[in-house]
Amino acid sequence: MNAVLDIQYFRLFAGMALMLIPLFILWYYKTGLVKATIIAVLRMVAQLLLVGLYLEYIFKLNSLWINIGWVLAMALIGAYTIVQRSGLNYKILLIPVLLSGLISITLTDAYFLGFVIKLHNIFDARYFIPITGMMMGNTIKNVVIALDAYYNRLDEEQNLYRWHLANGATQQEALQPFMRDALKRAFNPMIANTAIMGLISLPGVMTGQILGGSDPNIAVKYQIMLLITIFTSAILNVVLTILFTNRVAFDKYHNIKKNIFRNNTKKN
Amino acid sequence: MIHISDLQIRFKDETVFKNFDLQIKPGENIAISGESGKGKSTLLHLLAGFIPDFSGNVMINTLELCPENIQEIRRQVAWLPQETFLKMPTVKELFFAPFYFTHNKKQKPNSKQYKELFNRFNLPKDILNKKSKEISGGQKQRLLLAACLLLDKPILLLDEPTSALDQKIKQTITDYVLEHKNMTILSATHDAYWINQSDRIIHL
Repeated sequence: MNAVLDIQYFRLFAGMALMLIPLFILWYYKTGLVKATIIAVLRMVAQLLLVGLYLEYIFKLNSLWINIGWVLAMALIGAYTIVQRSGLNYKILLIPVLLSGLISITLTDAYFLGFVIKLHNIFDARYFIPITGMMMGNTIKNVVIALDAYYNRLDEEQNLYRWHLANGATQQEALQPFMRDALKRAFNPMIANTAIMGLISLPGVMTGQILGGSDPNIAVKYQIMLLITIFTSAILNVVLTILFTNRVAFDKYHNIKKNIFRNNTKKN
Repeated sequence: MIHISDLQIRFKDETVFKNFDLQIKPGENIAISGESGKGKSTLLHLLAGFIPDFSGNVMINTLELCPENIQEIRRQVAWLPQETFLKMPTVKELFFAPFYFTHNKKQKPNSKQYKELFNRFNLPKDILNKKSKEISGGQKQRLLLAACLLLDKPILLLDEPTSALDQKIKQTITDYVLEHKNMTILSATHDAYWINQSDRIIHL
């Protein structure tokens, strides 16, 4: 295999001029998203360059506690992002969201790194950090979509929930249509994307490994297993998040608490 | 059957109930009347467990209204909401949903039972084959009221049960519902005919 062709920093920044096209389109149609896009791209570039530096250092150190600490920090940032994007109350929901993220990631990490790859040390920085990070990154959007669908629909369609509850449903039965809807919205795009994998989209990990000089067959095997692990991790994370947040989002009479929404202007 | 004493309910700065007492005997038909905002729906919501912040004593069929008993209380009531725009994809799902709950499975009506009731309520024969958005507000109200009756619970809580109905069908439905002497019926209503046919009127 050939060595990876490096991208010089000058070429990298020059290449970013491509962003002028989306920025022009967003500006032309007066979407109001130009500033947000510029900030998002600048954040992405700064974060990734910093991560590159950190990872190089962390890989060299390869310390168990630093690796675990790094993953915990990622989980905390992930949980904060989920609660923020869902428009929910940090004080009430951050802990259950963080807990469900940690449980789902621990289970799927242990399975993938310990059972599938059979790593001698599953906390090896070179595997543990990037694979955990990739799983978290991929599951965050599913959890955000699911939480947003679940709680906003419960708020907007409180009468449907109450109709079930007041006519003899257990709380779990009354919440079932909302859970079903949240799962459908969060996983329909993922199922569609999985179905076309390899036909019209080449996944990032596989492309990265091939560019990095790996045998395409090995890259494909990693990719298949990663997609399955990400799917499992995402669905576990979504279900656990909803089940854990259910314990703090309802009062003793099973009514949804209004203060779980950040912009709380409604009364019971 | 229903015993409320010294009830107080406040929403922010507004007192909705203060030192309110009410006793309802089994099988009574009670109409709650009064201007909008006086607490008609709030009283029904209280009995269904939707108002967690209240003071006073509320007993429903020997059960005190408290978190420990709320599940059991809800098994003894059927509640018709004032707003019947409930987002379910099909009419069939909307109508049958309560009968799939563990506690209500035995009440699931057979086709003869619900067809007879649909006919009495002047609902189209093919209504269960329609999508929810294809039927009118009045049809939805009658459909949900039919489900409440078929659940056959000892207590019926009806919030404006005839608000979306025309005069002709209103009387038929009022007469039919109030015939159910085995049920205690508590209705928040502005409807003069319903009020006149009730055993007792509570004016708020």
